[in-house]
Amino acid sequence: MSTTVDLPVSGPAVVPARRTGFWRNLWKVLKRKPSRMVGAAIVAVFVLTGIVGPWLYPDNLPRDSDQILAGPSASHLLGTDFEGTDVLALLITGTRYVLVAAAFAALITVLIGTAFGLYAGYRRGAPDSVLMRITDFVLTIPGFPLLLVLSTVWKFSSALQMGLVLGLTGWGGLARSVRSATLSLRERGFVEAARGLGMPTRHIVTRELLPNIAPYVAMNLLIGVTTFIYSQVGLFYLGVLPFTSNNWGVMIQLAVTNGVTQTGAGLGYLMAPLVSILLLTLGVVLLVDALDEVFNPRLRED
Amino acid sequence: MTAVTQPSEVDGKKVGPAVRISDLTVAYRTPAGELPAVSRINLELAPGSITGLVGESGSGKSTMALAMLNAVQKPGRITDGSIEIDGLGDVVSLAGKRLREARGGEIGYVFQAAQNSLNPLKTVGKQLLDLARSHHVEDKRALVRQAKELLSRMGLSGDRVLDSYQHELSGGMRQRVGIMLALVLNAHLLVLDEPTTALDMISQSNILSIIRDVHAERGLTTLVVTHDIGVVAEVADRVAVMYGGRLVEQGPTTEVLKDPKHPYTRGLINAIPRLTGDPEVAQPLPGRPPTLGTIPKQGCVFRERCARYAADPREDCETTDPVASEITPGRLVACHPVAAGLPVEVSVEEGR
Amino acid sequence: MSESTVDDVVSAAGDGIRGRGIVKTFKARGNVLAGSTVQALRGVDFHIPPGGAASFIGESGCGKTTLGRILAGLEDYDAGTLSVNGVDLTSLSRRKRDPYFRRIQMIHQDPYSALNPTRTVDAILTDPLTLRARQTGRPKSWIAKRQREVLSLVGLEPDYVLSRYPHQLSGGMRQRVVIARALTVDPEALVADEAVSMIDVSLRLGILRLLRELRETVGVSVLFITHDVATARYIGADGDLYVIYRGQIIERGPTETIIANPVHPYTQCLLSAIPVLHGLEVPGADRLTPTEPLADTQSDAGCLFAARCPFATDRCRTERPDLAHHGDPEQLHACFYPEQRRVVAVSA
Repeated sequence: MSTTVDLPVSGPAVVPARRTGFWRNLWKVLKRKPSRMVGAAIVAVFVLTGIVGPWLYPDNLPRDSDQILAGPSASHLLGTDFEGTDVLALLITGTRYVLVAAAFAALITVLIGTAFGLYAGYRRGAPDSVLMRITDFVLTIPGFPLLLVLSTVWKFSSALQMGLVLGLTGWGGLARSVRSATLSLRERGFVEAARGLGMPTRHIVTRELLPNIAPYVAMNLLIGVTTFIYSQVGLFYLGVLPFTSNNWGVMIQLAVTNGVTQTGAGLGYLMAPLVSILLLTLGVVLLVDALDEVFNPRLRED
Repeated sequence: MTAVTQPSEVDGKKVGPAVRISDLTVAYRTPAGELPAVSRINLELAPGSITGLVGESGSGKSTMALAMLNAVQKPGRITDGSIEIDGLGDVVSLAGKRLREARGGEIGYVFQAAQNSLNPLKTVGKQLLDLARSHHVEDKRALVRQAKELLSRMGLSGDRVLDSYQHELSGGMRQRVGIMLALVLNAHLLVLDEPTTALDMISQSNILSIIRDVHAERGLTTLVVTHDIGVVAEVADRVAVMYGGRLVEQGPTTEVLKDPKHPYTRGLINAIPRLTGDPEVAQPLPGRPPTLGTIPKQGCVFRERCARYAADPREDCETTDPVASEITPGRLVACHPVAAGLPVEVSVEEGR
Repeated sequence: MSESTVDDVVSAAGDGIRGRGIVKTFKARGNVLAGSTVQALRGVDFHIPPGGAASFIGESGCGKTTLGRILAGLEDYDAGTLSVNGVDLTSLSRRKRDPYFRRIQMIHQDPYSALNPTRTVDAILTDPLTLRARQTGRPKSWIAKRQREVLSLVGLEPDYVLSRYPHQLSGGMRQRVVIARALTVDPEALVADEAVSMIDVSLRLGILRLLRELRETVGVSVLFITHDVATARYIGADGDLYVIYRGQIIERGPTETIIANPVHPYTQCLLSAIPVLHGLEVPGADRLTPTEPLADTQSDAGCLFAARCPFATDRCRTERPDLAHHGDPEQLHACFYPEQRRVVAVSA
């Protein structure tokens, strides 16, 4: 019968294109720009600190009462706090709480926001209305007063509690934008074709729609981490939440209440968490640039 | 107004300027080095003629059209050659203010799919006034009058259209607006990039007759860039066929259509299904058009899809890029066997 | 209606796809209060025999795309009946109806947006085949075999395309992948809506030829929707041609008959608008200069085409003509003054 094989006119005729896995893609894309490698390195250092940090120090950090609010020195690289505790030790042991809370919040946001947005956008009609009313409700929850009220019940000594509350109140915006992205995607030919082939909704949502919004979702996940760091640090700084554990927000708050901003003594105590937040944000921003290419096979090529 | 190109007179009739494109090469910077999308093109647009530039995707025709305005976008650039326009000089050497004035002033350009080239947030009238401002038109009233005249010439109500937003106009109407904006500053060289793509047959037929009429009435030199031989057949006096960045054949439209010399032109015309006669006459071309990266570096760029080469592989087709040679007055073909005087048709077994 | 259903079931096996009086009305956007509507289809009758071809031609906005989407189950219709091999889909529940619509596959105009850019051709074909294998109780090994089969059917080299992403293929190859994907469900019919208009000219004929060959090789029927009559003729010279204007069929009949002998002025305008290859062809003696609808308000009174028709009379403006026979018993037209005109270009 017909043997008109539509092949490219030049180049190796029947060489299958190489398929690469996610992690290999990620590595390839990161290598492409030095800035991405820097971003990845920064994020990796913080993640490692978060995991290993608390194991390096005893539960109760030693105090050096001769050195209160001291400047950097050989024995205290970043100086000491108002009780004479080493700032570097505080910073390192405080990382886990901050990162776990932020990552957990971002994870919840992404899971709920993506699921709601995808399903509402794809199904439209009644499910859409119901899910979006819920979303609107979440968007209008005043997170700050809610946390105030909750803090009377919960002490937020666990980072997961913190992350849970932040995540549950923070997914509304993502759900809305995933929904609108899905609404425009569902009109694309390949989604219609999948419906026409009788593919189940689960397939269409996870295999056809999700990969196309994945870069967007991943970007939200990463940026979400930084946003949630800011919001929890803010909450601690304002003194809204009880200080049951050591973390960066508590450090800033205590530095300010102990007059670091007025006297300038023990500047390291104030600056260390601030600079850490900035560095981590910078790392995330540098990394976000790579996401589009990781998920889009077209951009991955030269 | 800035127009300097005065239409020259031929037999007492106003006609547009002559355009001489010589050795034009446009290259794009890619990870694989700088690759030519347009390679050593020589083309002359006679004053007052309509020339059709035909090619598929990747043929370099749209790059050619942009080069006419010296508007090739980075990472592309004109690396060699000149485009001499009567009364304006070499467009390639123009820059800055003078170049901006020439665009829209002397050279009118109608963008590919005019549907997307209008600003969706501004009325057509507002965009007309923007054009006036950027070209320092003193008498805006006269310009609006001119615009309305052009629009009503094309069967539209000037007042209504100037008050309309892009989405309020149909595809055919937007294309008319595009032509109006290209001509309202009195351009005498008109370049249309895919003027009828995305229009249906009746709108296409109307736009083509408008192009023909406006061309004659205003004394223009017109270049129509398209992928559709039918469009060229309807409007153009001369046709130039591009493939892989080369001009492979040019000549008077009727002659080229009746007796195409280059195997690509022949294949392209043969691939058009027709309304009368045996449908089996139409034959698809094998292979696919090259992209910037896959254009052969050596020899004839068409040989891999060439029926003639397949039947009779000649060495020069593999080693040297054929140069256009004039086989009869006004007809240029870039093909080794044709230049050697061999018959165009070779007996190829059926079966494709 | 129920009587004819009984008859249809008797003659079941090979009736193909039949539509009777299909009506579709859209609510005009941004005008909810005024309740204004657009009649996309005003009672359309058609029939596509198994393995046969039918072409719908008309301008953009005439309703031809809506009809294709209704057939592919992507859009509902408001009235009329649609039957596949004698089974009336109108009376079936959504759940029972879907398997029938699945047998009518849509070939989209834009082969790029019709393929998921994040998935390889392998994945694109494997998923519907896996579903099909599960439904029909076939073994897993069948999937890979069938994948290669459908790719060969559409003239693609499996080893070359399977591992590639859509953007690594040319427009023509992408459209072949789209067709291969449609073939995974062993369709009754393919609905090809302007299926070649976004493909390079030198590759178009290859796709058209493929669609035509598939009618023979796998017995699939093709509903071809286009504004280009010549491509419709290439695919379905043996089938019927339906000319649609503003949701109404205004002329129908065997493709070659309509092209050679159009009697409705609108058909004549459409055929006149096809570019003449001067040098190879000379324009038809009666070529009409068609006009475009430049005013968006069009009256629904009388013949829908009257406002643009060069031959319209007062009767045309007040009375709507129905489809009537003309000459050839198979040729139907909706015009009070049918007249043969030579509008098609002829070989020089």
